[in-house]
This record gives sequence, structure tokens and C-alpha cells, in this order.
Amino acid sequence: MVNYFNTLPLREQLNQLSQAELMEPSEFTDGIDALKGKKIVIVGCGAQGLNQGLNLRDSGLDIAYALRKEAIEQKRDSWKNATDNNFTVGTYEELIPNADLVINLTPDKQHTSVINAVQPLMKQGAALSYSHGFNIVEEGMVIRKDITVIMVAPKCPGSEVRAEYLRGFGVPTLIAVHPENDPEGKGWPYAKAYCVGTGGHRAGVLKSSFVAEVKSDLMGEQTILCGLLQTGSILSFDKMIEKGIDAGYASKLVQYGVEVITEALKHGGVSGMMDRLSNVAKVKAFQISEELKDIMRPLFEKHQDDIMSGHFSKTMMEDWANGDANLLKWRAETGETAFEKTAAGDVKIDEQEYFDNYLLMVAFVRAGVELAFEVMVEAGIKPESAYYESLHETPLIANTIARKKLFEMNRVISDTAEYGCYLFDQACKPLLADFMKKIDSDVVGKNFNEGKSGSVDNATLVQINEILRSHPVEIVGVKLRKSMTAMKAIKTV
Amino acid sequence: MKEPFVHIANLNLQYAGIPILQDLNWQIVKGEHWVIGGKSGTGKTTLAKIIAGQEKANGDVSINFNKNSNSPAQAYYVSNWYQFTNLEGERNFYYQQRYNKHQQNDTLTVYADLVHFGEKHNLAFDQAEPLLLQLGFDNCRNTQLIELSSGEHKKLQLIQALWLRPQLLIVDEPFTGLDKASRANLLEIFDDIAEKGTTLLLITNDKDLPTAINCYAEIQNGQLLQMASADSFSKDTERQQKPLPYFLQELPKVSSNIMVELKDVSVRYGEKEVLKNVSWTVKAGEKWLLQGPNGSGKSTLLSLLTGDHPQAYTANIWLFGQKRGTGESIWDIKEKIGIISPELHWYFDKNATVWHSVASGFYDSIGWFIDVKHEERKKIEQLLDFFDLLPDKNKILHTLPLGKQRLALLARTIIKNPQLLILDEPCQGLDRAQTVHFNAVVDELCNYGKTLIYVGHYESQLPDCINHRLILEKGEVVDCETVREPIKQ
Repeated sequence: MVNYFNTLPLREQLNQLSQAELMEPSEFTDGIDALKGKKIVIVGCGAQGLNQGLNLRDSGLDIAYALRKEAIEQKRDSWKNATDNNFTVGTYEELIPNADLVINLTPDKQHTSVINAVQPLMKQGAALSYSHGFNIVEEGMVIRKDITVIMVAPKCPGSEVRAEYLRGFGVPTLIAVHPENDPEGKGWPYAKAYCVGTGGHRAGVLKSSFVAEVKSDLMGEQTILCGLLQTGSILSFDKMIEKGIDAGYASKLVQYGVEVITEALKHGGVSGMMDRLSNVAKVKAFQISEELKDIMRPLFEKHQDDIMSGHFSKTMMEDWANGDANLLKWRAETGETAFEKTAAGDVKIDEQEYFDNYLLMVAFVRAGVELAFEVMVEAGIKPESAYYESLHETPLIANTIARKKLFEMNRVISDTAEYGCYLFDQACKPLLADFMKKIDSDVVGKNFNEGKSGSVDNATLVQINEILRSHPVEIVGVKLRKSMTAMKAIKTV
Repeated sequence: MKEPFVHIANLNLQYAGIPILQDLNWQIVKGEHWVIGGKSGTGKTTLAKIIAGQEKANGDVSINFNKNSNSPAQAYYVSNWYQFTNLEGERNFYYQQRYNKHQQNDTLTVYADLVHFGEKHNLAFDQAEPLLLQLGFDNCRNTQLIELSSGEHKKLQLIQALWLRPQLLIVDEPFTGLDKASRANLLEIFDDIAEKGTTLLLITNDKDLPTAINCYAEIQNGQLLQMASADSFSKDTERQQKPLPYFLQELPKVSSNIMVELKDVSVRYGEKEVLKNVSWTVKAGEKWLLQGPNGSGKSTLLSLLTGDHPQAYTANIWLFGQKRGTGESIWDIKEKIGIISPELHWYFDKNATVWHSVASGFYDSIGWFIDVKHEERKKIEQLLDFFDLLPDKNKILHTLPLGKQRLALLARTIIKNPQLLILDEPCQGLDRAQTVHFNAVVDELCNYGKTLIYVGHYESQLPDCINHRLILEKGEVVDCETVREPIKQ
């Protein structure tokens, strides 16, 4: 198989990369009609598989689960998930031949083997759905020409997809149709109906492409979402220990701080997050983050370049072939860091304290979000896509760190994200060595405002606010959050 | 004079600029057991939480614990609402999550939770055993916390508190949601631990109290006022009769003469059978009472009717004339039903205003709020006026007293004039006057062609209009009958 993106002429690469359009609610007035009465078979019953299936069935669609024979015979968790909720479960051979739509919700790494097993069983003119385009775009899987290939990708963990649906809402979702596989022109009606079935149409839907999804998703997860949060967390913790801050306090500040800080990001964007700081602290955080942006920009660019050229996926797939040697080594190393091994102390930290005493992380988040966004847009990705894959997902990943530190984050995210995260982390730490030497506990561990007068130069502050608020990620963020918060503000049950 | 056990001096608290407690003074002497009653919204719960150290206020609160006692030197507070966390200490569960099965168990089992509690407080497990039996909780040992009904959660909290036997036990609305048998046993257990040295402080307007109770008080103008008995507690002002808004006097559209039909329906979780061969037909216009002890399967049965239970898809269930699992969506079902339940209340959006809460009833919380039409706005105003909620319409729902919250949720339930009303313990946590008021509204509504399913534990607290009754025990129908006279009293 050859990398699909690399087979395209430049004009077509740019065309597919730049697909990103926030859809109007009026485009979903047909509801689930396009799929009503059709046989829908979901392959895989993990968190996304089960929760999407529950939603689709509750929307009136006919859902069954196809699992591998061993999963059924050994009554694995996927089998229990499906049967305990009274779904029909069968083998590929039993269910796939009758399916009008096969939804592939298995982990990325299994896609090739799943598709190789499923495709020969699919009937003429059936449809196949993905929630991530890696298999098509990077691995270059070619699907039979009679089959329609679509993507519906909720931009939230599976449990959220279910919770928001039952409240009568949904989660922001990205949908796409693979241009090589739309023989009957039913791709968009199917993708829209599927999206309605999950509730996604109530929270902002981005019309995208397989290429745009993959190239932005990989970039986001490697850099700001996982890579930088890991690097920033470990460096912050180590610095606090070096400066004599209590280890339990440091551990707690880092574990939960990133969640509290990015919660502000979720509601008010980068400027909303920065506004949580006092004026003096904001000026400081701005200066540090500018410096961080300068230092890290080449690394962000390298990641984006390697993603675009296919170098990243090639080396990762080599590691897959090599029994995940690098992945497992890096995973073990992350489990051994001092931050990971120090339990959060039994100290109370007020919400505001997480900002005041963890200014460094605010600076990391601003630098990372803006850099990831800027570099993606420079590479031809539309601001809407770049927003989802940078700012939007940061609080979701931060939540996993709050739960059980970096180990948990790396367990929850895909293997692809985990691999990219370690890759970034390995390169970023040495890059920041000199920068970190200058950092003291006033920006990480202690209240930055302490002993300061609090007054700042007005013109400087006005200028900083202007720079923060006029950044393109803020402009597009206001537009996109509006379509989400219209729901969120009145989410009821 | 001996030193008071609890000494409170000059307690002051303001909430959003409104004084709640003003120079409140209070002493509790050993041997006294208090009940605080009176009007809703006077600060009873706040005072209880301050004594238990869960809220802060200006003033002095000191408790002279007996260091030589074998009871823990603790003021332990049991709240009106249940709270439980997953294994990671989070509380972000969602409405009806308990019916969705996932292999990854997020919460502890009841047994594991109790063992954990026992270890934390250094208690012997054999002392919890009799409590489990007396409160009818013995069969819940292996149940996951998330699978418990609201009544069962209440019991679990009580069991922990009674097992702990702290020197000061504060219980907010102890009888809320309990079935009759458990309630009678609870009164005895209260008396038992009072005799063994626990000082009781209950917050309730109930008149059926443990015999140990010997002091009564209510809060008036931010100060504690001792009363002669529970009979002398102030009552909330009676509601003025208002005509039902015109749009609710219209008969709702009825989709099918047989609204609900269940044939031989069973629900099981692994080995545990929650419903066994239940058959039930509800015809248009009938007013049903659904009764049964905590854990008898009532909530599960109702979840089959409201589209919330995954196992409904493979059972013989017809709703509004359509077999479940034949292409209908849960929103098609919910559109026809007005639902209120303790769980819905518990999971309701904590940030919604009263107005938003009521408006969400038009969409079963499908939130096209931007599009609330002029006609709908008028209806919302009329209904808020009917429930005397106009002055509160812009307040955050959960900051109101419980009684008002329930009325607002009832307004949400009926705003779309649904053909079927499912009211699952709608008066849980309300006092008698509020209950009478609430049920009078239900009766009035039912004059206009509604079909009703009502869950309530106590015969004295039911609407008059009930004309059928279904009784569940351990998941089985033990009685299904027509009722000629009002069940009340």
C-alpha cells in the first residue's frame, strides 16, 4: 500500500487539505432518514463503538455488532458490552454480508487487518465508515470501487458522546466523504444521517475531508495536546523539586493544574485563560510564552512537515512492524518519571491558586495552542480544522492527566497519538534546557503576585490584550464556540 | 450547670447579599435530641452543614466531644441528596447512565463501599449487618453504586451514619424516599443509638418522629426559635387557587388508546433479575399508582417506558401503539411523556435558570433555545404565574428551596401538555403542605384527559384521581387492581 496523500497532485492535496466548513443546522433537517431501515453493523465495541451504537439505536436505527470469533468465544469485554445492552452480536461472516453500512470503530492499528477481513464480505454498493482517516490516507488502503467510504468523527471521548446525547445534545463532530469512494453520491446523506444519529448535529459539525482530518489530527495530538502537556508537566514538576517546593504539592499542582487552566481555555479561548491572571502575571506569562513560541516553532514545523510528507507515519509503521519496540520503551520511561511516581499531596489548592502558582503552564498552553494552530494553517489546513485539533481538544486531554497523570493520558489516547507524543517529548525537553535554567519557582510553585505591587504599564497591557484577542485562533474560536455553547448553556437532562 | 455539648454563638451568614443567619445562638445539652422544622428556605440545611463543618460562617461553633466515649468524636451530616463518586473520585455521572452497561466498572459495589467506609472509620463489619437487614438492604451487597435507585442511595448513607454512631448525628430529611417498612425500622434505630449516647439532630417537618426527640426549633429571621412541639412549626403560606392556564385545559392528542403494553417483560443484569415476567397495560385516561419497596424495580420499570433502558429493545413492549425497536427514536417517545423523578432532578443542569428549565420541557431538553417561539414564551409565563414562580424565573434553579425546585420541574414536565404523565416520587423531600399543594395540581391537570403513572410510598400523600394500582415486590407484580375510592387516608 502507498501513502494516498503522496499520490495526489499538489492541487488536489491543497484542495483536500482545505476542506473545512461549519455546517448550518438546516442541512440536517432530513434527520436520520437516509439510514432509516438500513442494516448498520458496527465493528468493535470499545468506548466509541458501544456509545455511538447506543445513540444510533436510540435514534431509531438498526444496529448490530460484528466481532471477531475469538472475542465472542472468549466472551471478551467487547462481547459483554454489546450483549449486556441487548444488541445483536455476530461474527463478521454472519453480519457483514447483509450490512448496508459497516462502521469501523476498532483501534487505528487494527484497521488494515479489519478491513482486509471485512471488505470481501461486504455486499455490492454497501457503505463503510471510519472515525479516523489514518488507514485510508497514510496506510493507503484502497477500498473496492462500489463501496461508499465516509467518516464521522465525534471530537470527544465515547462516554461524553453518550452523556451529551442523553442530555439532549451532542458533541462537536467532523464528517467527510472519501472522494475516491462515492460511486452513488450517497456519501454525504449517509454521513449526515449518521451524525444526526449520534446527536452531533446539535453541537457544530465540520464538513471536512479524510486528508484534512488526518493531517490536522496527527499534528494536534503530537504537539499541543499530548506532547507539550507531557513535556510541560514533567519539566514543571522537576523544576519545583529542584527549587525545594513540597513534592506532594508539586505533584498535585501539576496533575490537576492543567485541567483547571484549560477549563478556562474551553470557555474563553486563549485570552479567556490569560484573563484569569492578574495584570502583572499576565504580562509575565505573555513574555514567557513568546519566548517559548520562538524556541519551539522549529520543532512544531518539523512535526507538521513530517506528517505532511508521510515520514511520520512511515517510521511509526516501521515501529509497529518491529513489535512496537520504541513505543514500549518510551512508555516505560514515562512511567518512571518522578512526577508519575510522586502521589498528589493531601493539600487543598483553590481554583485561582492553580493559575497564580502555575503561570508557567499557562504560558506553555498559550504557546502550544497558538503554535500548533499557526503551523497547521501555514501548511494549508483551514482555521476551523486547526481549532478543533488544537484548542478544542486540549481540555479533554487535560482531564485524563487529572485522572491519573501522564500514564492515564497515554493509556486513553490512541497508539498513534501516544507514539507521536513521545516523539515530541524526546525532542522538546533538550530544546527547552536553557530556557528552563532561567525559570524559578515564582512562575511555578509559588504565587507570582506575592510581594509585587500589581501595577503594570497600561500601554503594554493594552498591547498584549490586543495581540491575544486578535490571534486567528481566537477569531475562529468565537465563531465555533457559539455553535457549541448555544447548546451547552442550556443543557438540561 | 453542666457544659453544653454544642455551643453556637453569634452565627452570621449571608448568601448573595441576603442574610440567612443573623446572630444565631443555640445550645444543645447532652440528653437533648432536636428536630428543626418550619418553612422552606429558612436556612435549616445551611445551619446543619455549618455545625458539621461543611460550610463556613462568621461566629462560634464549638462542640465538646467526650474524649472517653467509644463513639467517634464527630459531627456527622447526612444530606438530603445522595452523592457518590467513581473510583477516581469524580462525580460526573449522567442521567440514566445506570441502565447503560459498560464492562469497565466505574464505581464500587455496595459491599466494597461499606468495607471501605468501615476501614476509614475503624468499624467492625458485623455491626453493619443488622442495619442492612433492618433497612431491607441485604440483597444490594453486590450491586454497583451507580445501579442503585435514589431510595437505595439514601439508605446506604443512613446505614453508614448509623453504623458509625457519631457523638452528634445530623440527618437532613431522614425519611425522604424510604419505603414504609424501612421507615418504621429507622425510627427504632434512631432511638437505639440515642440511648447509646448519640445526640440526634434531624431536619424535617414530619410528625412521625423517634421517641427520643425532645426539643423542637425552627429558624425565624435568621435566629433559632424553640417550639413546643412538631405541631407548632410554621407552615409555608398556602397557595391561592388559580385557574389552570388555558392551554392545559385542552385535551392532549392521544396517539393510541393503549398507551403502554408490556407482555412478560424481564430485565436481568447478569445473575440478578430486576424485573420478572411483568405484564401491564395502561389505557388512555387511566390514573395509575405504582408502589413497591425500595429496590423492587419501580424505576427500572419506568425506564422501560421512557426510552431510557437498553433492554427495552428486545422485550415485548408497545408504547403509544408502536412496538419498541421498530424505528422509533427515544425522542419520539419522550415527546409524548412528561417525566419527573428524583434522578432527573439530581442530574438536572446545575446552571439552568427556572425559566430555562421550564422552557427545556418543550424540547425534552433538545436545546434549540434560540428558537423559543412567541407562543411558547407566553405559555412559559402563564405557567410560571400559575406556580407562583414568576419572581424566581431568572434565578438558578438549584439555589431555590427544594419545594420550589420541584414545582419548577413539574412546570417543565407539563409545559408541552403531554398525553402521559410519569411522576416518580414527585413529592420526595417536600413537606405535607407542599405535598398537598403539589397533588392538588396533579388532580386538576388530570381533569383534562391526562393519563397518569404516579409513584409514591405513602397512602396519605397521593392525588385523589388515582383509579388503578400496580404493586411490585422483588421485581414481580404482586397486585394489579382497579381502585374505586380515593386511596388517600
